[in-house]
Parts: sequence; structure tokens; C-alpha cells
Amino acid sequence: MNLYEWEGKKLFTKHGIATPRGVVVRRGADFAKAYNDLGIKEVVAKAQVLSGKRGKNQGIKFCSSVEEVTRACEELFNTNFRGQYVAALLIEEKLDIAEEHYLSITYDTNKKQPVLIYSRQGGMEIEEVPEAQIEKIGLDIRNANLGVMASPDPSSPQALWQCFLAEDTRLVEINPLVKTRDGRWVAADAKVALDDDAFYRHEEWKQLEPRTMLGRLPTEREVAVRKIDEGENYYRGTAGKYIEMDGDIAILFSGGGASIANMDALIKAGLKPANYTEYSGNPPREKVYQLAKIVLSKPNLKGLWIAGGVANFTNIAETFHGIVDALDEIKPTYPIVVRRAGPYEEEGMRLMRECAERNHLDMKLYGKETSMSETAKILAKAVPVKV
Amino acid sequence: MSILISPNTEVLIQGITGKEGAKAAKAMLDYGTNVVGGVTPNKGGQEVEGKPVFNSIKEALAQLPGANTSAIYVPPFAAKAAILEAIDNNIPLINVIVERIPIKDTAYCLAAAKERGIQIIGPSSLGVMCPGIGRIGVIGGPLELTKQIFQPGSIGIISRSGGMTNEVSWQVRKAGLGQSTAVHVGGDLLMGTTYADLLRLFQKDDQTKAVIIFGEHGGSYEFEIVDIIKNKEFTKPLAIYIGGKFASALPEGMNIGHAGAIVERGRGAAEKEEALQAAGVLIAGHYEQLAELIKPLA
Repeated sequence: MNLYEWEGKKLFTKHGIATPRGVVVRRGADFAKAYNDLGIKEVVAKAQVLSGKRGKNQGIKFCSSVEEVTRACEELFNTNFRGQYVAALLIEEKLDIAEEHYLSITYDTNKKQPVLIYSRQGGMEIEEVPEAQIEKIGLDIRNANLGVMASPDPSSPQALWQCFLAEDTRLVEINPLVKTRDGRWVAADAKVALDDDAFYRHEEWKQLEPRTMLGRLPTEREVAVRKIDEGENYYRGTAGKYIEMDGDIAILFSGGGASIANMDALIKAGLKPANYTEYSGNPPREKVYQLAKIVLSKPNLKGLWIAGGVANFTNIAETFHGIVDALDEIKPTYPIVVRRAGPYEEEGMRLMRECAERNHLDMKLYGKETSMSETAKILAKAVPVKV
Repeated sequence: MSILISPNTEVLIQGITGKEGAKAAKAMLDYGTNVVGGVTPNKGGQEVEGKPVFNSIKEALAQLPGANTSAIYVPPFAAKAAILEAIDNNIPLINVIVERIPIKDTAYCLAAAKERGIQIIGPSSLGVMCPGIGRIGVIGGPLELTKQIFQPGSIGIISRSGGMTNEVSWQVRKAGLGQSTAVHVGGDLLMGTTYADLLRLFQKDDQTKAVIIFGEHGGSYEFEIVDIIKNKEFTKPLAIYIGGKFASALPEGMNIGHAGAIVERGRGAAEKEEALQAAGVLIAGHYEQLAELIKPLA
């Protein structure tokens, strides 16, 4: 899960990294009061969005009066940052900047360990800075002590490393790491990505407000699906993945790799997905039922594609039973194409066939003799062409 | 011959008394793998599928000194301790099926394993299948299905996806070919055993004439393939499919910050296929093409 700047800065502060004094304001809040309470004349108002390039998209406004702050806040809340939802604004002290540096820690997949990245040329153009001016230092996750580092800022690297380790993050980034004219080192921005798989040792993450990685608020269906995998058996099969999309073909995929390949095949066949959904790891019937019900609840669907590879150990009968439970309730009238194989496939297919018969569904069933991509084409033919 | 599994393979299952561990014990034994016992703390003295359960790997090794492979079936919050126990006891090959291990724990275990020269396959790996010899994990599924999909042959298979390991193996079989070894490397960001690690093993394996990879976007592991082809560590025919092209159609915002772009500078998704193609790797537009592409070279 990605954190908003103000959330990241709270973590930085906790680990001893200085951040500007500031206040978070929400939509409809009393902006003037927030500014007056902060008690600093020269401020910057910053749109809180989940991905970068905000500076290049007018998401930051400098102000020096109540009027300017109020106007800036209204403008920022009404601006669309490449489709990203502005959750809040951060009003904070304008720094008197002498230098802008760059500092981050993330995982290097080749070394399979964290890497610290540092440059004296921080700021918006960091991705254009020549390789020679960027230092990359491989770290060992087992060593909480960073050791000596050639950074002009004596404390931020070690504090950031502590933050990275203690908070179970996948990324911590300070850009820019500002040196002020009076010689202080301040994290002017914060980008933090938490490792979702470590949630069980971070009770405090429950307090974070819901969000999606798509730069918008989660839809009702997305929130509902996420709940399926919560609870103490969270790791017993996954059925909690659902991304709502613009198309009209409902998707019930199984297996991560197959799902990715099938999304590619679906789009190639000229269809538009209504969602991206995947269950895997042999989830129980109840989890799949809940998932299927939510997937099929989207209005204006034109087709349903239930597809997966040749499963290793996912029980086809059990998982299909969950889908059948949902189909029995919803009884869709649009074409349904099923492609699946694996343990208990005969019983699974029988359950589907019987469900189709008793509900008069337009359903076609395929096993492993027909490839997944072929069944995408079959569905494309069955779905009525838009007039 | 095959890679990773041999007739001398003796498997311990950590977490053998759990539902998934017991299922894996049965799947392995059914396929003729020599599962010698299992480990679950405080459950020593029990039996699963007729095999003895021990409280610790140390206790197990005292009775079963030939055990040389561990398959780990524990919940994610117990995974780090289980993997480190196997490493501390110098088990040379560890298959970690556990999904959703925090990346910090994975990185810790991989660093410890590297120091001891221990090979970890996974995490999130369903295992390794050597047709006709044995399997680690539940890869292939029930015996009947496994026999339909797998037969000894000349194609090495590597997959980031468990389901697709079977699916691609099936496409190979449908094309009239067989598999030397099929490995599910797992879909996590950090992979204990990478494509390049396995290609080096397949290179040394006489039975393997060509290799197929089902890849996914994420990480820059594909560039290691380019490197080992260039320096001739791997010279056999190779076909690859990299899934996830649709992801570029998703709205912006999947990535945060610049660190990813800096680490992968010049080694992003766009450069991947180009570099692989330039090195002579066959690129499949969709996964069903993998078997077609490799068939004339097998």
C-alpha cells in the first residue's frame, strides 16, 4: 500500500528525520483557520495524491496570505492530476532551500537485497540525472547499521534505513532532501510503500484510510472484495483481488499467471474487461461464492469469462461450487464461457452444467483440450456486437 | 537426467502435520518421491502417511541423515523461522511454497542461504517436477492428472506461475513432447532461484534440449538471461512469454517514487523483449505459442 505524503512524513518524524511544520486539510475544511492555526506566513499547499510527478502537474502552490491559501486550496481540490483523486492537502512551511538532494531505499531484485540510492542532484528531474552522479549502495537486510556513508547529511540515511526496516516498507524515498540556508536537513517530500504481506505485525495499519493504487478511491465492490481475505485464515487461498474497470465482460480468473495471460488474450480478442479478478491457492467455496457474487453485481455486463489453467491442487469442484452458488442467485442472461482443468474437474464441470440447465444459462464449457486464448475468441463471437 | 531432483533425493516436509503439508506428503509419495519424514514443533512422534514426524530438523537429521531437501508448508508468519532452521542445518535444497511472506523476511532468508551456498526455490513456489523421477511439492496435482500432463522428455520448463507451470507443460505434451524438469520459481518480487540459475543447470543437463519460460513483468530477471547467453553460459534454444502487457493499459499510479525507475534504468519492460530478441531468444506473443516455437528445436 502506498502512503500519502503526510502519512510518510509521520513515519519519518517517528524515526528522527526532520520534516517541515505543517497541517493536513480535507475537502470542505476551513482552510483559512488551518492556515492561521499553523501560524507561518510563507507556506506551500500540496495536493496529496498517491503517485509522483505532482510538481510537474501544478500540484504545489506557494502562498503568503489567507486569501492566497484559500484560493490555492480550492483550486487544488478541483484539479485533476492525471485522473488521480486528491484526498487531502498538506499546508506546510515554505523551506528556504540551499540544496536539493535525493535519498531512497528500495529492493534490488538482482541482488535480492535493499539498495540505498543517493544523489546530490535531487528534485523533479532526478530521473534525468546522469548515472555517474547517482550512488547506489547495496545493503544487507540483516544489518541494521548502515555504517559510514559519504552523504553530506550525517543522519538521514541511517534514520531512513531504520524506518525502512521497522515499518516493513518496500520503498522509502525523500525527494528532495533539502538543505536549508540555515544548515538544517529536512525531508521536503515523502514517498513510502508498505509491504502488504507484513500487515499482521502492524496493527496500526488498520487505521489507514482505504485507497487504490489506481489514483482513485476504491469502489464499493473493491472494498467489499478486499474483506473476503481478511481474518485469521487470510493465507488459505486468495479470493480478494478485484480491480473495477470500464468494460462489460465480467472476469473470474484463477491463478495469477493465467490471469495475466488471459487479460492479454481478452483484450487481443477485442473484448473489454469489466474487472480484473483472480482467485488462487485453493480457496474454499464460501470465499469464491462471495467473490463471484460481487463480480456479477456490476451493472450492464455483456458476458462472463471463467478461465484458468490446468490447476495443480486447487479443487475445481469446490471453487466452481462457489461460482455456481452465485450463478443460482443471479441467473445471468448474457453468454458465459468456462475453461478450466485440474483436480476434480469432472465434478466441477458437472456442477456448472447442471447449474446452466436449471437456470437456462447460455454457457459453454471447455477443458484443457481447448486453450484459454481460444475460449476468449469463442466468447468474443458470442457477445453481441455493439450497434 | 533431470535437474534439482535425483534418485538420491530425500525430502523432509516442514509443517507436515498441517492440511497442506499432509496433502503435499501424499502427492510426493504418490509420484514416487522419497519423502523420509516431516517436522512440526511439539508434534514429534506422530506419523503422517506412514512417515515419522520430528520436533525439529536437528532431531530429524539424527534419524534420517540422508535428508537433503526440505519442502516448507507453514503459515507466512512462521516461514522465516522455518527457512532459517533448514539453512542452519545445512539442507542444501529448500522449496518454499508459502505465499505472502513479508519481503523483509524473504530477503533475510535469501541472504542467509547465499552465505551457505544453499538453494532456495521460491517463496510462493509449488515446487519442482522431474517426470518419471519425482516431484517436490504438489506441482502437477493428483496422480492421474500428473500422468496426463507430464512425461519424460527434452524440454526444460520454468514458470513464475504455478498454474501456468502445468498449463505450459500440458501444451508441450500436446505438441507431442515431454519435459526434463518443470520448475515453478514463484511469483514474488524476490526469487530465491532465478531464471538464470536454472538455465545454468539446464545447460549441464544432457536430457534438456531446449527451455521454455513463462515470465511475468516485474523485476529485471530477464536481463540475467541476456547476460548468460552473451557469455555462453547458456547456449540451448530458449522460448519465453512475458505476461502482463495489459498492465500498461491500467491507469497510471501503480508505481510510486523514482527509485524503481532508477534501479531499472534502461532495463524496463520495453527494453526486456528487445534485449532478449537480440540475444536470440524466441519471443511468444501468447503463451500457447511457446510449445510451437520450441518444437522444431527440441
